Amino acid sequence: MHGEYKTPGGKLVVVDFDVVDGRFKNMVISGDFFLYPEEELAPLTNALEGVDIELDDESFTERIRMDLHPETELMGTSPEGIVIAVRRALAGDEA
Amino acid sequence: MSDRTEPTAAQLADWDTRFKSVTWTLLPNPPLAPRAQNAMDEVLLEEMAAGRRGPHVRFWNWQSKAVIIGRFQSVKNEVNQDAAAEAGITISRRMTGGGAMLVEPEGAITYTIAAPESLVAGMSFAESYQFFDSWVLGALRELGVDAWYVPLNDITSSGGKVGGAAQARKHGIALHHTTCAYSMAPGILTSILRIGKEKLSDKGVTSADKRVGPLRQQTDLDRDVIINHMIEYFRSRYGLQSDNFRAEEMIRLDQLVTEKYDTPEWVYALP
Repeated sequence: MHGEYKTPGGKLVVVDFDVVDGRFKNMVISGDFFLYPEEELAPLTNALEGVDIELDDESFTERIRMDLHPETELMGTSPEGIVIAVRRALAGDEA
Repeated sequence: MSDRTEPTAAQLADWDTRFKSVTWTLLPNPPLAPRAQNAMDEVLLEEMAAGRRGPHVRFWNWQSKAVIIGRFQSVKNEVNQDAAAEAGITISRRMTGGGAMLVEPEGAITYTIAAPESLVAGMSFAESYQFFDSWVLGALRELGVDAWYVPLNDITSSGGKVGGAAQARKHGIALHHTTCAYSMAPGILTSILRIGKEKLSDKGVTSADKRVGPLRQQTDLDRDVIINHMIEYFRSRYGLQSDNFRAEEMIRLDQLVTEKYDTPEWVYALP
């Protein structure tokens, strides 16, 4: 599944994943956002791996937020923006 | 087009003081393969971190056409790979975030400016982007381009978008690089880059081509003339001593191209 969301005035975030037994698998997060340090892409990407797709937006957002180091700078997108892209993917909206 | 905001007089004075607080070196700009250009930034960042090189400005010459994608971009989402291969366009992944850039040997003006992170201490990321490109805006304005900054990382003008910047922050070094469009064949952007509706959703346009305002179109000046003007603008205000790459840096460059920038593991890190 594939979903995109561009934060107005910010950057594009793209999510690609599979759903296996009602859970996120093979999550890939990409886009033209900025992330410091770059090594934080792995925890960002792993945050939703294996998570139940039936959870609500706040739960998804919280998972992403929890997995990022407090000093990580994510610019141009946000945990909320990533969740919008995930929702769009789940809804089959390829926009 | 986003609202136009200008730095305050106090900001400009502060930026001026900061630029003048370090000794700047201008590095040469031999034509290099696209992936070697991207690797060179990392070599010089390593050299700075090791204390073997100081603050520098470097203009890039592209040996061949390339799409330079951002650190976190997916190749298939950004590049029409068949069209790129057919046109002899290399795909190269850079170490910094941000968006894909299409570059041709005479079509782009790309530069790096790098300094210890202490030079931008106390600044927000957003302000540091404006700071590092402020001299280029000044130089462009002297050449008659009505250019200004759109946070976070875009240079735009009354004639369209001019360029985009990205920064690496690593080992106490801030490395900032920017690509400005100099000339561009009509339609090439949209045939090679995959720019979806979502990406343009807040731009008020439906085609990426229409957003770009290449500098040749706006100035009628040769690329070298523009680059030299940028260099002289910087030199006259902040000082700039010419230097060469050291033999060790060129050896490390070859190594880093082979071990990282030329490998599928890096280029297709996000397939």
